[in-house]
Amino acid sequence: MSTKHAETATRFLADRAEEKWHDETLWMVRAKRDKMSRSLPEWEELREKASQIKLYSNSHLADLLEEFERHATANGAIVHWAKDAEEHNAIVEQILQQHQAKVMIKSKSMLTEECGMNAYLMEKGYDIIESDLGERILQWMHKHPSHIVMPAIHIKRQEVGRMMEQVLGTEKGNADPTYLTHAVRKDMRQKFLTADVAMTGANFAVASTGEIVVCTNEGNADMGTSFPKVHIATMGMEKIVPNQESLGIFVRLLARSGTGQPSTAYTAHYRKPMNGQEFHIIIVDHGRSDILGNPEHFRTLNCIRCGQCMNTCPVYRRSGGYSYTYFIPGPIGINLGMLRDPKQYADNLSACSLCLSCSNVCPAKVDLGEQIYRWRQQLDSLGKANPTKKLMSQGMKYLMERPPLFNTALKLAPVVNHLPRPLIYHALNAWGQGREMPRFAKQSFNEMWKKNQVQK
Amino acid sequence: MSQKEELLNRIRKHTLQTFEMPDLQMETLTYADKLQSFQEVLKQMGGEAVVLQPGEEIDQVIRRLHPDAQRIASNLPQIRCATFNPDEVADPRELDGTDVAIVQAEFGVVENGAVWLPARVKYKALYFIPTALVILLQKEEIVSNMYEAYRRLAAQQSDYAYGVFMSGPSKTADIEQALVFGAHGPMRVTVILTD
Repeated sequence: MSTKHAETATRFLADRAEEKWHDETLWMVRAKRDKMSRSLPEWEELREKASQIKLYSNSHLADLLEEFERHATANGAIVHWAKDAEEHNAIVEQILQQHQAKVMIKSKSMLTEECGMNAYLMEKGYDIIESDLGERILQWMHKHPSHIVMPAIHIKRQEVGRMMEQVLGTEKGNADPTYLTHAVRKDMRQKFLTADVAMTGANFAVASTGEIVVCTNEGNADMGTSFPKVHIATMGMEKIVPNQESLGIFVRLLARSGTGQPSTAYTAHYRKPMNGQEFHIIIVDHGRSDILGNPEHFRTLNCIRCGQCMNTCPVYRRSGGYSYTYFIPGPIGINLGMLRDPKQYADNLSACSLCLSCSNVCPAKVDLGEQIYRWRQQLDSLGKANPTKKLMSQGMKYLMERPPLFNTALKLAPVVNHLPRPLIYHALNAWGQGREMPRFAKQSFNEMWKKNQVQK
Repeated sequence: MSQKEELLNRIRKHTLQTFEMPDLQMETLTYADKLQSFQEVLKQMGGEAVVLQPGEEIDQVIRRLHPDAQRIASNLPQIRCATFNPDEVADPRELDGTDVAIVQAEFGVVENGAVWLPARVKYKALYFIPTALVILLQKEEIVSNMYEAYRRLAAQQSDYAYGVFMSGPSKTADIEQALVFGAHGPMRVTVILTD
């Protein structure tokens, strides 16, 4: 029995050229990250400090959020609290209603994705415009992000070109990224100037000053917030950092880890509303306080959403973001999905080779692979253990506990080497799919040892 | 109980072990020739740096960089080539169509070629809307890295409504990871290093 991840991954793998491109492109981003990390002698110290700051801030979250709210309010912002996605969406809707707004322009936010906000508001007749290029492409194509930092990484330039011929009237057959990007720039400029409300996410929220920090390369968040009378910033409550000095640690890690750049082109600090603008900040729980109380998994709250765990993951690179059933893919998505609903998202647990590369690159030291391992120990109690594998491990247990039987089985094993292929490579042997099986040795190590044939 | 209190109580109830705040004092990578290194990194970020030569006027440099510019915006008194003061327009939308804007940075950062621009203009749109942005930066005001940059902001208790660390022009790689400059903000960013 395959998991849903394995089934969808098989479809992704059917296009070998695309799979190779996806794999190599993401590995290139990983290599850029390595170059960046090696250029800083203090890299490992930065990771350690980032992890410690997050552990501190997440274990003092209530105090820091109060401190943040006090400063943000003094700065002139309006702070809202949302316990879940529903409340979050209702708050946004209410602000839109208050201003009789119809059009909201927004920068990238995984939180609004998590809350299903766009669908909720669009159903009610609001026009929500994604201003990040990748997100805009996906919005036009009615698709979801397949990566949290490079949302349209699975889409080829020709597809983008064909789509833009329809929506923007670009030249037929022109798939040049510069041409297409500048066509969107021109179109989006008018949207920036005419939207009623602007929305951004937040990469960080600083408790000591009450400001939020938004990192982009395109400048779309800053363009977006420059004209409308209202700016809504939405943040998961774990985005809090204690002070500006802490930002100095995280900002040095974020883009180096995420895309292999020393920093994003724009690291924008929103502190006070300007020119009579209204500035709303929504602080969202939506399950985060439950994670806080989970002794084996609270470290997932250290995550700063850089996306490097996806780039480095051998399974993600070769199976694509859509093969996961949770909206965040890759190692962090496997874990966050399990924390959201273990029964619903247990299929993703198979998308891991336990190589722990993710844990080794994570800038905030989330023990991603180790957590996946711990979740796997619970598969049986969740009723999600693979029956074939369960049967096999029961068989192995029976065999291992009976040495004479085990040794006889070992002696007989090389017979398999001479069996006709159809008897070895069939649907029931998952290990024989897509790879050659190793050959059994003529004699076992045990036998060699007894005959004193093992060279020291 | 208010929504906020309910949420905070829930957080307090769920908090398990508490951790100490680490000491953030640390050794960081610094640069022997900050001016030289800043220019190199800015170039890597897609921007360009020009060192103002003795006897040279800033206006001359801007004119040389942008000979065809029609609408030049600046609220800086020393910029005489500006065709209008962006602080005097009634609505920030009127800034659309600006060819070049000239702004003053507070300090620069070597490791990412960034400049710190706290909003010292009426409309922050000015930093993003022009086709090209020219940033003035005093040579002496360069720190090595973002660690130092944030310590400087904290020590100065710097007050700003909005501020941005800007490293080169606006860019994207959202189509097949192909790098394109001029996504939504300035296509070209030049830092003029002054005495």
